[in-house]
Amino acid sequence: MPFIEVNGKQIETDEDGFIVNLEDWNEEVALALAKTEQVEELTEDHWKVINYLKDYYKEFGIAPMVRKVVKATGFSLKEIYDLFPTGPAKGACKIAGLPKPTGCV
Amino acid sequence: MINGKDLKVQDIGKESGKQLTKIDSLKPLPKPYDQPGMEPPLTDPKPEWSEKYCTSLDGYVALDTFEKPKTKEEEDELVRKFLSGLEKMLSAETNKGILQPLMLTLDYCGKCNTCSDACHIFEATNGHELYRPSYRAEILRRIIKKYFTKSGKLLGPLVGADIDLNWETVARLGELAYRCNLCRRCAQTCPLGLDNGMIAREIRKIFSQEMGIAPKPLHENGTVKQLATGSSTGMNKAAFMDIMEFHADDIEEMVGVRYDVPIDKEGADILLIHNAGEFMAWPQNPIAFTIIFEEAGLNWTLSSDFIGYDSVNYGLFYDDGQARKIALRQQEVAKKLGVKKIVIAECGHAHKASAVYADRLTSAEQKIPVESYLPLLRDIVLSGKLDLDPMRNNFPVTLHDPCNIVRQMGIVKPQREILKAICPQFREMTPHGVNNYCCGGGSGFAIMNALNFGEFRNKVSTRKKFEQILNAFQDTIDDPSIPKYVCAPCSNCKGAIRDILEFYEATEKYNIHYDGLVELVVNAMRKFDRPFLEFLRNEE
Repeated sequence: MPFIEVNGKQIETDEDGFIVNLEDWNEEVALALAKTEQVEELTEDHWKVINYLKDYYKEFGIAPMVRKVVKATGFSLKEIYDLFPTGPAKGACKIAGLPKPTGCV
Repeated sequence: MINGKDLKVQDIGKESGKQLTKIDSLKPLPKPYDQPGMEPPLTDPKPEWSEKYCTSLDGYVALDTFEKPKTKEEEDELVRKFLSGLEKMLSAETNKGILQPLMLTLDYCGKCNTCSDACHIFEATNGHELYRPSYRAEILRRIIKKYFTKSGKLLGPLVGADIDLNWETVARLGELAYRCNLCRRCAQTCPLGLDNGMIAREIRKIFSQEMGIAPKPLHENGTVKQLATGSSTGMNKAAFMDIMEFHADDIEEMVGVRYDVPIDKEGADILLIHNAGEFMAWPQNPIAFTIIFEEAGLNWTLSSDFIGYDSVNYGLFYDDGQARKIALRQQEVAKKLGVKKIVIAECGHAHKASAVYADRLTSAEQKIPVESYLPLLRDIVLSGKLDLDPMRNNFPVTLHDPCNIVRQMGIVKPQREILKAICPQFREMTPHGVNNYCCGGGSGFAIMNALNFGEFRNKVSTRKKFEQILNAFQDTIDDPSIPKYVCAPCSNCKGAIRDILEFYEATEKYNIHYDGLVELVVNAMRKFDRPFLEFLRNEE
């Protein structure tokens, strides 16, 4: 099984590096995941997006639509890409501990 | 490793544990991609993958749930289960609807190889024998000969039953079933109407139904998720309602008009079902539908009922049992609402699953009619109700024909009448209509990205489509200031085309965009001041 190592602990991921168990997620794991998605540090702006993604996922069981993220956080799509170069659906969701999106997306 | 030109049918079980063959060359792309360094190279599989997966066919892995047998017992069990599945495939009791065309295909192939010239994957690999459409069919034919006929059991190789059925043959055959897009262009061209695409699908069925092995994006994260939550995206009713609430706000923000989106409206004429992936990845598509249907004054509704808001039916690609459950559920939703018909939006495989495939599951009296949105949209556009200005779409536009809608269902003209009415620079791909080529994402490839399968799609199975796209825009490809639009009215095709444009950096370098058909219609509406298409909005 592929994994990511955080503080000496192995956290299981899928082949694309998304963590398998949401319970494994914490802020340190988020930072380790961020580094795999071209994000070197997590600023307050990053956390605003990450927290929204996490809360939405908790309530609805899926990631929010990208345009909802834009509206809820007040960041433009370009600003979100500046924060997460690999994009909101892949990079930001992975860092927030969400699973890889499924279906025809 | 055996090279592409020398590979024989009998080789399939040889050199167990080693990679049998690899792609040794690819057909050159048209200009400007004819220069060296214009595309990322082919890569080798990671060595550690071979511990778990089957990398021993051509190095690519589609079956991400396959686990290599570890003991002799497990090896034998794999072969035994495969043979048991094969027996069910050949039995009228367990495979009734398919048996006749299947037996025709198995019994009557004259090896004329007309099918090979029709296959985009065979062409893309410069005629690699592994991808010849008849190659996998011939393997299956010889296995059946050896295990299910008297002459084969007695005489073996003397009567053509010369395949060594070891676990490696089974594993490789499973992978090989996912080197075909099930586009059925080969079946269309066969002088006898034999269907090698069906053979690939039957092998997939054996793997899924009998052996429990299917690509995760199609099964575990696809139909299983859909049957648990209501959608392959994982969208449950609450999530759908939340998205719908936002849908109305989003439309208002985009075009400045507020529409009430009808949901669960009993007795409506039309139940419109989208591929739920559209809401997540291409929300402008359902938005455009809402605007058009409302402006045209249709009596229509969406459904928030379980599976009523996701037309996806991946079972069509690999498993009859899963396909049946989902198709029947969609019928139930429509009956409960009391609508006159179901209209399928821009999703190709859903067209085939809900309209054609579901026909075999229910009697005519019991079935709510299922139609494509295309004739309806054509009538709306040509009626003049929408007040359209074609000059708003005055840029080169070409049309991709989704195999399931066009070749499989024969819906060819409506989309062309629409485009001719609203896109002054519309140009066809060559060839097109029922002779189209698959986007390369067909039969689930578009969403299969585990391990290195994305590379197979981007470099091999979509190659012909990328060639067609480039050829359609040769007149303006040198001028990146002119936007070019690939109209692909199918979620799966859009996903595959999005990935090609990204992989080859064609949007960035040559200003090539893609999206559906309804977006072009709304973009032409005089009622709205601003363009609807995102790349035009960005230019403002």
